[in-house]
Amino acid sequence: MVEAFAVASGKGGTGKTTSTLALGMALAEEYDVTVVDADTGLANLLFHAGLEDADVTLHDLLIEGADAAIDDATYERFGMRVVPCGTNLADFEAANPNRLRDVVASLAAETDVLLLDSPAALGSKSAVLPIVLADRIVTVLQPTIPALSDALKVGEYARSYGTGNAGVLFNKVRDEAAVERIADRTEEYFDGPTLATVPESDAVHGARDAGEPLLAHAPDSAAAAAYRDAADTLDVRAGDSTAVADRFRSAVVPDRP
Amino acid sequence: MKLPRGQLLRSRVVADPGTTLSTALETDLTGYAVFEPRDALLLDADGQGVLTFEAGVPVLAYHTRTDAGGATALADLAVPGPYSVDLFELDATDLAEIHDTPPLRVAPGLPAERLAGDPTLADRTRDAAPADRVGGSDTAADGPDAVAAFLDDEEKITAIREQARSEARDRAQEWGLADELANLPGAVADADDDEESDNAAGE
Repeated sequence: MVEAFAVASGKGGTGKTTSTLALGMALAEEYDVTVVDADTGLANLLFHAGLEDADVTLHDLLIEGADAAIDDATYERFGMRVVPCGTNLADFEAANPNRLRDVVASLAAETDVLLLDSPAALGSKSAVLPIVLADRIVTVLQPTIPALSDALKVGEYARSYGTGNAGVLFNKVRDEAAVERIADRTEEYFDGPTLATVPESDAVHGARDAGEPLLAHAPDSAAAAAYRDAADTLDVRAGDSTAVADRFRSAVVPDRP
Repeated sequence: MKLPRGQLLRSRVVADPGTTLSTALETDLTGYAVFEPRDALLLDADGQGVLTFEAGVPVLAYHTRTDAGGATALADLAVPGPYSVDLFELDATDLAEIHDTPPLRVAPGLPAERLAGDPTLADRTRDAAPADRVGGSDTAADGPDAVAAFLDDEEKITAIREQARSEARDRAQEWGLADELANLPGAVADADDDEESDNAAGE
């Protein structure tokens, strides 16, 4: 059983990586969860998961001729399997995205929930690929006009590729009443529930500085509680892991961006 | 709104209007920026947003298509990027007269909130604003209504979504991902496109 989610936003700085790891940890209480940093050009998940010294990352799996095994780039952390991506530009240049699908397919075959931390912009094939491959997207956004308009765009890209909407996660919220006023409209446009309203929190910065996911660093914070609500609201659907793996394997894979 | 012509400092395409607001703030710009969304479908071809600055802090907002000023002009301008932006320098004395137009004025942090969706930049801008410009209408009270009004503007939302759908299909062709596209009701590609996609997607 597996469902693959692309955690997407359409705009940088919405807290996508924080949200991916927080959702992952919350879901890991019930499911077997694998988190992948699919933002291969602008990787940052490793910093959030205390893996900046990781010897082997997703990049090593994508470099032609490298003999790293998937297990070497997979780290058991915080109750999840985490596949970080390196930040070395030369490695990014040397990476062959054609290999990504097999990596993700192999991971999908062995987990309940696969979370793909996805690039913010949709400007290249590799940026859009996680959305193409996922079953559904989780949209992380702030309740602002630019964030909503960019997220609407991501939602339509997803829909165009037959990828569903799992719901909207309002993040870095300063005024919860403001979100309540737009929740109905948002649910209508995004065709999914409001998963949670995560308040802006200093704990998030503290977690990032400590290299720990929010739920490990500040489990009692209001933001952490909101992510647990989001995990409860998210209806993970049992999928056929073979079908998901096949989809990743057969997907048209992009050239280098 | 009639602005004296300033000296063009830079002309560029930005994905995020926050880039321009941030540049203006960091360079203490006194002058104005002209924003034109690249996507003419969402606004009339001559639809431009004008934002004036004094020492890096936004003062007035105006939209040429809707003839709206202030916060309303910002809402009219808030569409998905990229934008073409021209940044002009203009002497404060040339701006003084036009700056005395209350209906066009915006609170210092509002453009960063509305156009960039960047509360941190909004805070930095408020910090840089003269004391007599902070407070007043730049509160959360007019934020949520603007977001709600944006979502209630069905015509605009429909335009954004249709544009995104069309862009998604075009890009899919370009990137060889056409075979991955779902068959959506109403999303009928023409025969030529189908042929291209079949050819392009062969692996």
